[in-house]
Amino acid sequence: MSKYPKIAAALAVASLIAVAALADPLPPDATYRPLPTQPLDVVKALDEAQKSQVMQRQQALLEQRYDLSNRPIANVMMSGGRKPVQDGVRVRLPAGVTWDSLSAMSPDEIRQRGLLPAAFMPLPHVKQATGGQVFPNQQIDEINRQESRNIRRFDVDFDLPDQFTPEFPPPIFLTSHPELGDVSHGQLLTIKNYYQLMIGIITPVQMEGMRLLLTPFPQEEFNQTEDRKSADQSLGVTCLDCHANFHTNAAFHQTPDVRPQAARFRLDTVSLRGMFNQQIHGSKRSLRSIEDFTQFEQRTAYFNGDHVSAQRKGVHLPDRFDQVPMMAQMQNIIDFPPAPKLDPLSRLDPSKATQQELEGERVFLGKGQCAQCHVPQTSFLDNNMHDLKLERFYNVGQTVNGLVALADGPIKTFTLRGIKDSPPYMHDGRLLTLADTVEFFNLVLGLKLTQEEKDSLVAYMLTL
Amino acid sequence: MRLLTLLAIAIAFLSPAAFGQSTNPVSPAPGNPGGMPPGTRQSAPGVPAPRQANQADRAFINAAATGGLAEVDLGRFAAQQGASRAVTEFAQRMVRDHSAANDRLSALAKANGIAAPDKLDEEHKAMRTKLEQFSGPQFDRAYIEGQIIDHQKTAQLLEYEIGSGENAELKDLASDLLPTVLGHLRMAQAIASEMAQRAAAETPRTERPSERR
Repeated sequence: MSKYPKIAAALAVASLIAVAALADPLPPDATYRPLPTQPLDVVKALDEAQKSQVMQRQQALLEQRYDLSNRPIANVMMSGGRKPVQDGVRVRLPAGVTWDSLSAMSPDEIRQRGLLPAAFMPLPHVKQATGGQVFPNQQIDEINRQESRNIRRFDVDFDLPDQFTPEFPPPIFLTSHPELGDVSHGQLLTIKNYYQLMIGIITPVQMEGMRLLLTPFPQEEFNQTEDRKSADQSLGVTCLDCHANFHTNAAFHQTPDVRPQAARFRLDTVSLRGMFNQQIHGSKRSLRSIEDFTQFEQRTAYFNGDHVSAQRKGVHLPDRFDQVPMMAQMQNIIDFPPAPKLDPLSRLDPSKATQQELEGERVFLGKGQCAQCHVPQTSFLDNNMHDLKLERFYNVGQTVNGLVALADGPIKTFTLRGIKDSPPYMHDGRLLTLADTVEFFNLVLGLKLTQEEKDSLVAYMLTL
Repeated sequence: MRLLTLLAIAIAFLSPAAFGQSTNPVSPAPGNPGGMPPGTRQSAPGVPAPRQANQADRAFINAAATGGLAEVDLGRFAAQQGASRAVTEFAQRMVRDHSAANDRLSALAKANGIAAPDKLDEEHKAMRTKLEQFSGPQFDRAYIEGQIIDHQKTAQLLEYEIGSGENAELKDLASDLLPTVLGHLRMAQAIASEMAQRAAAETPRTERPSERR
């Protein structure tokens, strides 16, 4: 009998909740992209006048967070031999702590005392309120030289110093032709040169996939409407404008998967190398095939997860039965760079590796717990998403350069094969060097690694 | 937060930049001029002059003032009616924190010439009426459930203002309040799960659904 009043009370609570959830919702532009209120010439003039201030803000933030100096590791180059790999921990510590004293504290203590290094928190977009794709200058200049296509924005520039981005153009390795090595001829693949570079090497289906991946289509900031950030009516952007030579040029964007705008975290472009072994796609969405991802990028990287805005600017939806599989098949023959010290099961060959590298592998598999997620045998992936729960270390909700720093939630595991070629690190590029990533995980996972162990981990990752 | 505040103060003293033009990353970030209402007065190109409000600012003032009033009103009520100490202490804290926030908000609303609501809205009147029917643990549960939803909504509202507002003072206020509001949300969630656990422990074994056959 006593059950019934309880049920009635529960129903009353439920109806109260239902009423509350319906009232005073946020305006539509909290989810949908608002239409511009001013003509393009006015917006452009204002954006251009504001640009130096915008860049100075981001520069101040970067300098506050990182040691940005150019300090390469001696004799360690990225796979194409065009760019050295940067050395050392670049994350600045708060005053009064060392890495060791910090890792001896509990997450609660670090949070309460505000001692988490700022660089471990989410990295803001250079202009959070506007957001969108931002390309590094080398990419902009080369696309302009080859295609006379403009992918320069009038409101913002790329923010990270050149030494912390991948070599340009990156080499291209094919699973179908391992004997050839880098097939890029040192060039950036574009719609103007892909055919002559690839004829006789790839199949017709792969060739057509590549053509589509190199064909510009309208995008949120690069299109023909007044709501754009290119000076001219833009031809749009291509998939490989970010995934340069199927790798990455560190072009960045914001996650399409979060609203409102202030909460959208930055995304660093992911390499497409080793796509054939990657089972989930999109840092947040866990799409289950490269076909799904290729198809849906037109809704996300191109239009921020806003199909309404896309419709107005001219969306290109590749045909699922024919075009998408060809694009996917092209991506699936992109290999990792060679790792001559790894055996067929992706373990170090003791006859080739140094003592320090072997020690690094032991830490990687053991005390460092890296291999819990970055499983060597499966291309250093586990095809899962994990939540590092970084919010244990800082108070969420702080606003930095317009970005509201919130808990990241689960993010997919990224591969570590060829990792020295892919700075900056983490899904938003918040870490600049491999040594930074070691300090990050040492703290977040509570590993208490010694300096020797940390150094050996870096040496090991350079062999991957 | 204290570090950020100190930093903000330090930089405010160091920087001769005009209001709203700061390069300090914790000051309100520049908006997209594409969304600026035509005719907006500017203190620098693309930087709205102080004491102007766009539609997001107005929506924010309206919703934040409504929510703030309700927080204080329901908090006062719950501080008296709450059964558990956790709930009455939470309610007292809501009165204290939201009164302070309401004062800041109404001063800014007044300075910007925007009328803010000064009476409880229909939604929260209805909630108050519902709450008046409850007592004991039922009251606690209903109050805390409502608080979780209200703080979720407030957090999204503050984030919306931070990204879409143009009034630097209001955006600053939103940035200041957001960590506190998220802290309140965590507190309310912790109280709710504690109450749920206690209720489960107090339910006679035969009534536990998972053990029914």
